Amino acid sequence: MGRIGGRTRANGALLIAAMLLVSPDAANATDNDQNAPRLTELSLEQLGDIEVTTVSKRPEEVWRTAVAIHVITHEDIRRSGATSIPEVLRLAPGIEVARIDSDHWSIGVRGFGDQFSKSLLVLIDGRSIYTPLFAGMYWPAHDALLDDVDRIEVIRGPGGTIWGADAVSGVINIITKATAETHGALLSAGAGNIDRGTGALRYGGGNGRTFDYRVYGKGVNRGAEHHADGAAFDEWWTTQAGFRTDWTPGPGNTLTVQGDVSKGSHGQRVSVASLSPPAQVALDGSLHAVGVDVLARWQRDFTATRGFRLQAYVDRTSWLAPHFGEQRNTIDVDFLHHATLAARHTVTAGVGARVSPSRFIQQVPTLDFTPRVQTDSVYSGFAEDEMALVPEHLWLTVGSKIEHNNYTGVEVQPGARLLWAPRPGQSAWASVSRAVRTPSRIEDAIASTSYSTTTTVPIFLRVTGNPDFDAERTVAYEAGYRARVASQVYVDLAAFHNRHRGLGSFGLGSVTVEQTPLPVHAIVDVLYVNGVSGRSDGFELSPEWQPRGWWRLRGGYSYVRFDLANTPGSIDVNAVNRYAGSSPHHQVRLESRLNLPGGAEFDAAYRYVSALPAQKIEAYHTADSRVGWAVSPRIEVSLAGQNLLAPSHAEFGHNLPQPVGIARSVYVEVRWRRANP
Amino acid sequence: MTRSALRRLAAATALTVICTFTADAQPAPRSEYEIKAAYLFTFGKFVDWPPRPARDESAVTICVLGADPFGPVLDATLAGATIRGRKVSWRRLTGPEDAAGCHIVFVSASEERRVSTIVPALNQLGALTVSDMPQFASHGGMIQFVTAASRVRFEINLLSAREAGLTVSSELLRVASAVRNGAGPGE
Repeated sequence: MGRIGGRTRANGALLIAAMLLVSPDAANATDNDQNAPRLTELSLEQLGDIEVTTVSKRPEEVWRTAVAIHVITHEDIRRSGATSIPEVLRLAPGIEVARIDSDHWSIGVRGFGDQFSKSLLVLIDGRSIYTPLFAGMYWPAHDALLDDVDRIEVIRGPGGTIWGADAVSGVINIITKATAETHGALLSAGAGNIDRGTGALRYGGGNGRTFDYRVYGKGVNRGAEHHADGAAFDEWWTTQAGFRTDWTPGPGNTLTVQGDVSKGSHGQRVSVASLSPPAQVALDGSLHAVGVDVLARWQRDFTATRGFRLQAYVDRTSWLAPHFGEQRNTIDVDFLHHATLAARHTVTAGVGARVSPSRFIQQVPTLDFTPRVQTDSVYSGFAEDEMALVPEHLWLTVGSKIEHNNYTGVEVQPGARLLWAPRPGQSAWASVSRAVRTPSRIEDAIASTSYSTTTTVPIFLRVTGNPDFDAERTVAYEAGYRARVASQVYVDLAAFHNRHRGLGSFGLGSVTVEQTPLPVHAIVDVLYVNGVSGRSDGFELSPEWQPRGWWRLRGGYSYVRFDLANTPGSIDVNAVNRYAGSSPHHQVRLESRLNLPGGAEFDAAYRYVSALPAQKIEAYHTADSRVGWAVSPRIEVSLAGQNLLAPSHAEFGHNLPQPVGIARSVYVEVRWRRANP
Repeated sequence: MTRSALRRLAAATALTVICTFTADAQPAPRSEYEIKAAYLFTFGKFVDWPPRPARDESAVTICVLGADPFGPVLDATLAGATIRGRKVSWRRLTGPEDAAGCHIVFVSASEERRVSTIVPALNQLGALTVSDMPQFASHGGMIQFVTAASRVRFEINLLSAREAGLTVSSELLRVASAVRNGAGPGE
């Protein structure tokens, strides 16, 4: 091992030493309040006044779910020290989070890492942040107050049967707390070398039963990562404010209304071609984003087994970058009904509609969309029946989503799932499902010219949208096993075999020689085609061990491999390597969480990510650590360090000549909270 | 990482650890189920049960039905505890049919789908039914935990308790965040 190995040993030793240093005393953690009366000696009123840390609302749902699901709890988020949603997602197995620069990430699930996180569906309280512009997520424009996030459910594998198209590789469900749980005032402020300044304010109130509310505001100012050439083009800031109200006029009847406004400026470097010299220039500038959304949800549970949910939202985004702009309004209505019929059947059915008119704003002559104004629409219906084949032990769920979209017409996404729970604390499942990713505006309507090379004349490549580009289709075979193997040891294993058909690649169009503008130049048209098919396989193993009440250890290993090939007619020699080489084949994660006496916490996480040859990224490992201390019941101070094992390391190449180094960062945060009188 | 950076990190860590140990002990937040376990015990002080032949009335038996959310917390809370001179014992149940000897039954949220059959069966046995699943009280459950603002409180369905022959002390009703009489919203 070379220098890197030596460094890791030194830091690893430090972390272990720190844990050992505190462990003997931490043994007293549970007894630290020996002077305090036992809980059983308290009065009912005193019990009701003790602040509690809540665990994920319904952990048992995981046991009863025939999908590869990982729930990131509020406590997980708080103790990760992460300052953004993409960084929090690193906690889930099977997810590949690569930070491209300060404000861009490539996120993939079981492969398919991509700047736009294609084929991945992300919802914040039921509102999709997937954009039809490029079939993915523009992460910096979507945020939530992490203190208000109750949990993030990360589902690996297709969710198309329920969530519909584009939930091919996974679904990420970000769920904020009910307002009854966020009473009081919260003020937090943080500063660090990269996260230069963050601030958040939240106030919530209500009677805790029939009407509750909260309002919040937050701001983030983040500096550039490490750039060898010193160009700090990825500085950014964003501000966001919002509200939520929950009104419960009677039991099983809740109306939720929530909304957010956000504004931000996200620095980036883009490469822009021009047909007259210079052929290609790097443009440093910012994407200015403004977002407004309002959502209303009516949840009515007549009994525990029968109810419905009606949800509608309006979402407006406005983006203006140096090289393009887009304005989009999305209106979405969704209705879901569930009922248990004849004791053994639980039927869930729903209908939905989404209409999303958009307007592309041209900023440079070499990037355009035809047409510039378009309305994307999706109409869908789904039905699913969960049958208890053997009550309490064996369930079969079959269902399908049928939807119509404006690109490929009708798409059917059926699925079947079998779940076997021989006894509490043990379950096994298997499933087969079909999912599609519908084309985006880019694949349908873009005209983007980039400089290639100069022979006798300059040659430009023009990537052109292809109205015949079809949906990418995947059939997924999955299986999993979960078990509490000892009272404090939990293991989750999930494996998959996916068959992909018609993944996007480039095909050759015509070659034309143009006289204007001078000089004479050649343009090679390159079309989006469905040129790659094949398989991907892998598994994720995530054990968890709580050796003591105050000490929790978690691990994760994720493996994925690809067997893809060009289909006849596809000439894109790089496509296969781009798919197979933009996601790590191996990922390892280890976490330790220690509760120390006096309200202190010491947390450490290590991760290893194997190489991304298509992105020219070498394998790396790094570690994060956090020390938190509840100074008083109202004030909490934390110090978090991230990417500690090297001054910087690159995680994703993007299209830049040199990948951006993700820098070691240190961040201090103070949180003050006050309960309502 | 350079040597000096390492030293700085080590110093910062050590400093924090030292601060931690010398600081006045503040009550750390308790886990949700520590509090709920303590409640299960404390409820026992405020309820009188109708005598049942299948039950050892010289003890108070607390049972957990369904996927156990307490883990070792329950054992730690109840070990050696007594209520008005009666020994407290506890066990985990696989189904409501095993509940005949129970005075207090905590119904895990895992049983939500069966709640409409479980609750009448348990009420029949004269057990105090407690749960943290939503809508438990409106399904006839007697005590439903409600967590709001990071604090665990509870609602009571007084009608269910009375119908099952239980006598609930007024102290319990006073502290409850809502008292229901049958189904419908709390007062």
